[in-house]
Amino acid sequence: MASDEEEDDYLTMTFDEPSTTRKETSLQRTARLKKEAAERGRIPSKAEKEAAAAAAREKALATELDSSSKGAKMMAKMGFKAGGGLGAAGNEGRIRPIELGMKDDKGGIGADSEKKRKIREAAAQADEGVKRTKISEEEFRERNVKEREEKRVEGLWLGAMKILEGFEEDGDVDQKDGIGPGGKGHSTKRLMKSVNILYRPLVKERLEKERDRRARYDLTQSLSRNEEYTEEDAHDKLALGDEVQELDEEDSELEEYQGLPATEKLDNVVKHLREKYWYCFWCKYRYEDEGMEDCPGLTEDEHG
Amino acid sequence: MAESRFKRQKVSDEPNPAADKANPYLAHMHNDGDDAGDYSNGYSNGNANGASTILDTFKRHGTSAMDAKKAEDGPSNPFNGNQLSERYFSILKTRRDLPVHAQRQEFLELYQKSQILVFVGETGSGKTTQIPQFVLYDDLPQQQGKMVACTQPRRVAAMSVAQRVAQEMDVTLGEEVGYSIRFEDMTGPKTIMKYMTDGMLLREAMNDHDMKRYSTIILDEAHERTLATDILMGLLKEVVKRRPDLKIIIMSATLDAQKFQKYFLNAPLLAVPGRTHPVEIFYTAEPERDYVEAAIRTVLQIHATEPEGDILLFLTGEEEIEDACRKISLETDDMIREADAGPLKCYPLYGSLPPHQQQKIFDPAPKPFKQGGRPGRKVIVSTNIAETSLTIDGIVYVVDPGFSKQKVYNPRIRVESLLVSPISKASAQQRAGRAGRTRPGKAFRLYTEGAFKKELIDQSYPEILRSNLASTVLELKKLGIDDLVHFDLMDPPAPETLMRALEELNYLACLDDEGELTSLGSLASNFPLDPALAVMLISSPEFYCSNEMLSMTALISVPQVFVRPAAARKRADEMKDLFAHEDGDHLTMLNVYHAFKSPAAQENPKQWCHDHFLSFRALQQADNVRMQLKRIMEREEIELVSTPFEDKKYYENIRRALCAGFFMQVAKKDTSGKNYQTVKDNQSVLLHPSTVLGQDSEWVLYNEFVLTSKNYIRTVTAVKPEWLLDIAPMYYDLDSFQKGDIKTALQRTADRMKRREAMAKGKR
Repeated sequence: MASDEEEDDYLTMTFDEPSTTRKETSLQRTARLKKEAAERGRIPSKAEKEAAAAAAREKALATELDSSSKGAKMMAKMGFKAGGGLGAAGNEGRIRPIELGMKDDKGGIGADSEKKRKIREAAAQADEGVKRTKISEEEFRERNVKEREEKRVEGLWLGAMKILEGFEEDGDVDQKDGIGPGGKGHSTKRLMKSVNILYRPLVKERLEKERDRRARYDLTQSLSRNEEYTEEDAHDKLALGDEVQELDEEDSELEEYQGLPATEKLDNVVKHLREKYWYCFWCKYRYEDEGMEDCPGLTEDEHG
Repeated sequence: MAESRFKRQKVSDEPNPAADKANPYLAHMHNDGDDAGDYSNGYSNGNANGASTILDTFKRHGTSAMDAKKAEDGPSNPFNGNQLSERYFSILKTRRDLPVHAQRQEFLELYQKSQILVFVGETGSGKTTQIPQFVLYDDLPQQQGKMVACTQPRRVAAMSVAQRVAQEMDVTLGEEVGYSIRFEDMTGPKTIMKYMTDGMLLREAMNDHDMKRYSTIILDEAHERTLATDILMGLLKEVVKRRPDLKIIIMSATLDAQKFQKYFLNAPLLAVPGRTHPVEIFYTAEPERDYVEAAIRTVLQIHATEPEGDILLFLTGEEEIEDACRKISLETDDMIREADAGPLKCYPLYGSLPPHQQQKIFDPAPKPFKQGGRPGRKVIVSTNIAETSLTIDGIVYVVDPGFSKQKVYNPRIRVESLLVSPISKASAQQRAGRAGRTRPGKAFRLYTEGAFKKELIDQSYPEILRSNLASTVLELKKLGIDDLVHFDLMDPPAPETLMRALEELNYLACLDDEGELTSLGSLASNFPLDPALAVMLISSPEFYCSNEMLSMTALISVPQVFVRPAAARKRADEMKDLFAHEDGDHLTMLNVYHAFKSPAAQENPKQWCHDHFLSFRALQQADNVRMQLKRIMEREEIELVSTPFEDKKYYENIRRALCAGFFMQVAKKDTSGKNYQTVKDNQSVLLHPSTVLGQDSEWVLYNEFVLTSKNYIRTVTAVKPEWLLDIAPMYYDLDSFQKGDIKTALQRTADRMKRREAMAKGKR
């Protein structure tokens, strides 16, 4: 009825937008039919078939039996009420059949839900990624620039630290307290916490690299190790062991420092170099006196 | 059979005995003289040899533990008057040490004053062997000409317990004490104590609704909640109202006995504490990625680090268990060589294992390699049969991955299949308890504590919720239960399960449209078979092949006859090809059976089976089943006939006869590819890789739908759509089909058949 009325209602009748797609030509039609036929004739892959079979099974499992079947009629005759359970009054049974749980791997109890949880987490993360990509092009470019700048400053900071380390190790004897004669950085006995916080990250990173190198070396050597060297190895290990312990020790001061933004870290080192060694990181020059008269200023910009 | 639904197939001439002689497939018919020796199913009529014993002075239901002790102490056997043997007295001594013995008086008092009693005793308390004997001394069934029955869920248990109790009572098995299981009756006229499978008691009840031959019925292992035990409980609840003299004891091994108590209208409960020690339970920190591998690792770790004590590992099935045993043995060899570990012996345990191999699990653990060396250990890798029904002493460590293979049935897709599923919390506790039988033990659960709490259900689903009920419904109908909807079951199944069962029985013409038992249904219920198989067998004379279908039914009823050991798969397949029949697996099995019965094979059947990669046990069992079924056929006066072997319809007739039972299990090939589509349920399935059938059969019938990540149909035979329309017109009523490929194909077949018929008429 409703549709009749609508058809008769000329006043509010709306017209479809004139179709922009033209009628398909006979060539297009042939092409389309061919494509459709190919799709029909295509032999589905094994995985597709399996998925289709599983889907059919799930569908059948989710479909209640026809309540007009002969079986249902016989039950109705026995006084069965649709929607109820079987059994004596007061002890009726379940309404639905037990669900089938298919297990097709060797995963232990709980492994499945663990897997599902991980998938969920991954999906959530992916979602976040989607959100992030939704930001505008402008923002994207801006962020790229910022990231690049961050990286550059980080590099500068590393360079500044190296220079500072050079000054400290060569110059000030006070700072060398406790350092063995082994030369800069290579000493393993120096206490990490005694290193100036401004370039401690540099030392730590180097030591970590060294440890990894040695571990790899040990691994390759362990099979062909000669008994004669065992004593030396024991020393090495002891030494390494100390170092390892210290390397892995918590250093809240260091963490705090490393957590600062790159520009701030750089500024700190640059300032220190100026104040203590009259060295301008931007001029790459160590001035004769405290005044540093020829230096154009504190910042990179001032150096042009 | 009163009315016949099936058209007789034309064969060239009527079968005659002389032609049968020439038929190699019937060779077995002429040399089996073993039909004699049938045990009558008669029951005891009192003290058969008439000797008067001390029991004659006992007052029925008025004795005490003291009286029983006096009678037990002899010197003559209170049940048959014979002199008691020395072995009897030595067993008697150990019997009196069993936990149940301490509570004999308490038991008797409860037993005497109530009609129904719930008894709880853990495995090993001695309840299965002792309680029935306690009852005998007080119930005195011989005075009433009745028996005491004790049901067991498993055939093997019924047999072995009966044997044990016969020993304990110093009588010959099959006389005073006997057993009765499907296809085997070991009882005699003197029998007063009968162990039987629960299914057997149910079958008996079909012809004896009030179970009049028994004075006491004991349902043992009721906690296992088998289908038959559940039905029996529902039945007995009715019977006790009609028979106030009948006593019922429900025995359970687990402590959830309150459920039984409640169901039996608050029957009194007696619990005998088992001898158990504390068991420490360990969980894993993380879920396991591979539970089998984790289980093997755990076993090896226990062997390497834990003090003396045997290990019980629960896995799910034969293949998994054998595989794990191999791996454990290999790894221990390494451990012994490299880490000086003690010897470790690994025993598999599962239902289809031959009994003599099952017995091996009771062998003592191996001795240390040298005196004072690391202790030896045995590890038993078992299905859940070691969970409640078997007691293995010496187990101190239990490894539980938390899975078992369980039968599941879903009426919506009509699939009954064995699936690996998580166990219940109750099962997990039971498994852990196995570690504390001898001394304090440890249970290693290969899942987290959180998973135990969250992912495991509290109680396992009883079998009745996981089964196709067609055969049960037929039995209940025969038992005179008309209102199936309100039948008082402990856990009633889902309505759809009953709906499906009624519908299937209707298609099989076992029930009419009103739900009443037909004469065919009544006849079918006399066979201890699935209704579809029974109907197939009953209608086989219509197809001139009842001899062959008898063999076929037997073969379908026993475990797989083909053996395919992992080490010799190729050879096994080659051997199978020797028997292959191009029309499918059913005929292939028939070929095997007939070859097995040939004189050449019977010379040394065991060797012959071994050489041909066949299971001697399964074939022997098939032989036995065939004999039993044949007796029923003869009793019911169903013709035993065969099509002459030279007749070109010989095989076709057998395939048609198969359709008469299996028309509801048919699949048609998809228009493209290897997949098949099941008729009416429209499930996509593949032929099981074990089939001998080529991929080009358009229509197949199958014996089994195997549910895995892929759906398989196993044991398949090629059929023709004409036969289906002809043999099962009700089921293949085209109006009842969904639109689709199968309907179109059937429609075309129907049209073709009509044309042919018209032409035939025209000619005439």
